[in-house]
Amino acid sequence: MAVCSILCYPDPILKQVAEPVAVVDETVTAVIQDLVDTMIDAGHSVGVAAPQIGVLRRVLVVDVSKSKLGKDNNHGLLEMVNPEIIQKSGRTTMREGCMSVPDYTGNVTRAEHIVVEFIDRAGQLRVIEASGFEAVAVQHELDHLDGLLFLDRVSSLKTDLYRRKAK
Amino acid sequence: MNHFALTIVGRDRPGIVSQVTEILFNLGCNLADSSCSILGGQFAMILILGHPEFTSLESFGDAFKPLEETDLTVALRVLKPGGETRSQIEGDLCMISVYGADKPGIVYRVAKILGDKQVNITDLNTKLVGTEERPVYVMVIEACLPEGAEENDVNNWLAPIRDELQIDITVRTIPTVEL
Repeated sequence: MAVCSILCYPDPILKQVAEPVAVVDETVTAVIQDLVDTMIDAGHSVGVAAPQIGVLRRVLVVDVSKSKLGKDNNHGLLEMVNPEIIQKSGRTTMREGCMSVPDYTGNVTRAEHIVVEFIDRAGQLRVIEASGFEAVAVQHELDHLDGLLFLDRVSSLKTDLYRRKAK
Repeated sequence: MNHFALTIVGRDRPGIVSQVTEILFNLGCNLADSSCSILGGQFAMILILGHPEFTSLESFGDAFKPLEETDLTVALRVLKPGGETRSQIEGDLCMISVYGADKPGIVYRVAKILGDKQVNITDLNTKLVGTEERPVYVMVIEACLPEGAEENDVNNWLAPIRDELQIDITVRTIPTVEL
């Protein structure tokens, strides 16, 4: 178990497509644990994807249960291997920030409801239906597995990209 | 580095951006924020730029003369130190859509209410659409709300002119999320 440092753009790893996991072995559960530790250590974070800690494998974790927007509608800690969105509907816009793109936030429109299929830490295939903030968080982290940042989803720099508020 | 605000407006045609930026590149200017858009039949460019040595309008010499000769209007403003950085804008972000049959005063009446309530407009675009017989005016505003104000407050503030001007107004805040 380890807290990892988060890679920031322009680190080239963030723009690469991560490799699918063939078998959930101990190397995969180690990555999952690192992601969970890193997410918790980051305090404000509700998700981390493996490429953000320099691992190009299709693994991510999401947990919106501690956040204001997600606390009433969530599946708790989600540990996803090879996640795939098999259905999406609706549209919602949120102003997203990303630990890999510090100082900026951008308006991104994503699906409001998703059905996502993934393999869990135990190697079981699972399908869940997520909506609202949890759905947005899964889509944001899944983008990292495809080498996409929220900057790729922003439609207008003038109205959609902002310097992050001072904390 | 000294900073300048440059605006260029002229009849839209292909090549304006390359013509302008070639001159700026050759002068050694650094472009920072910019916004360029077609408005009506005009192409309008607004650019914030820096130059390591230039200090005044005179520094640019007659570099923009070729633009004026091709019927572009050029204006340059010398920024005071720090004028190139955006001040911290706090408060929730919201988008306000306003539309209705075209009539005088829509922009002013909406902006007056927002200004009086200390709402900071950070972006505003308007467009005249519809047909010649039934012109429709559309305005989209992005604004930062003052501390403590919510979506519903904005709705309430704008409610009187919604009826008076017979316009439709929708307000939606955009939640900020850390991922």
